[in-house]
Amino acid sequence: MRVIDHIVGSRTDAAIAAQLHHLDHHRAVDVLTVASADIARRRLRATTEGGDEVALALPRDQTLFDGAVLLLEPGHALVVRVGAQDWLRLTARDAADALELGYHAGNLHWRVRFETGSLLVALDGPVTDYLARLGELATGDRLAWEVTQGAGGGAVHGHAHHHNHHHHPEPAR
Amino acid sequence: MRLTLHSEPEPGIRPANAARIGIGGPVGSGKTALIERLIPVLAGRGIDLAVVTNDLVTKEDAERLRRSGLIDPARVSAVEAGACPHTVIREDPTLNIAAGDALEARFPGLELLIFESGGDNLASTFSLDLVDWWIFVIDVAGGDDIPRKRGPGVLRCDLLVVNKTDLAPHVGIDLPAMLAEARAVRGDKPVIETNARRGDGVEAVADAIARAVLFAP
Repeated sequence: MRVIDHIVGSRTDAAIAAQLHHLDHHRAVDVLTVASADIARRRLRATTEGGDEVALALPRDQTLFDGAVLLLEPGHALVVRVGAQDWLRLTARDAADALELGYHAGNLHWRVRFETGSLLVALDGPVTDYLARLGELATGDRLAWEVTQGAGGGAVHGHAHHHNHHHHPEPAR
Repeated sequence: MRLTLHSEPEPGIRPANAARIGIGGPVGSGKTALIERLIPVLAGRGIDLAVVTNDLVTKEDAERLRRSGLIDPARVSAVEAGACPHTVIREDPTLNIAAGDALEARFPGLELLIFESGGDNLASTFSLDLVDWWIFVIDVAGGDDIPRKRGPGVLRCDLLVVNKTDLAPHVGIDLPAMLAEARAVRGDKPVIETNARRGDGVEAVADAIARAVLFAP
């Protein structure tokens, strides 16, 4: 089992992109898919799409992100892909209900994004569990809700950031 | 910064920075007792470890571990939360991160840092900024309805430990049914039963830690 102890860079770095492009022609770029809920982990064991068992032990000042290059060597590269993240889109009927929703979402420590007029909650379990937490607010006509699937988890677009409030969700795929 | 990697054949591969794990759970479920049992088991496997305890306004748990004779007292640090215990393991784990960094600086060969949360409620979870992997400890005497209540701690932890199994007959708990419910709400994630006072199940918990974050086979 290979232990990976640092991130080489991002697949969008010019120098790395060129090498990846070359390796890709030789089908030498393997992918490690990491669930959105696991993206903040610095240590984990996983199997790549190519079937290799790897262990991650990153320094504490590094975090995974979509496109993180973990291995870049002659004839082989390994790139992180963040698994799709489901989002619960909640739209309140009026400002009073929106305030109440915001209060509950904060109190429940949900991971959220803001979109004009809506609150998006990252789903790490069944949607019914989330709606149940909202109780009466979700059972009547005070909230409209729908589940959307976005690519890339939105957990990270930068290197050291996992806050996602200001990102818009990716289009569903 | 590029860290050097030194790998050893068995029982695992050990990178230069210490793995960090969390142990949380309700008040009195047996977190400290579990750690007291884990220390000799992990040390016996050659794992270089240290502990950071969290208490509300005292250093009670740290003092208990320091006096236990199980571990060099200098390897135990205390963080006083001063508020709800989850605030220092989730909302702002800065104090714990600093305590962990200080221990790593003091003991350069450190391989495993254990963060013990103060006793909290079922909503308590660890930030992955603080730990790589975490355990939630509940106990039989707390009631067999605990898994059914689907608290975030029970659902999201990497390992659920159901402690004090010896008490089941005394508190009228159907242990197999409680374990089955715990496994049902957790899907694929593991559940281990322990009797920390006697040491039952502690080897299995040590195995899970070594496998998950020290990459033992």
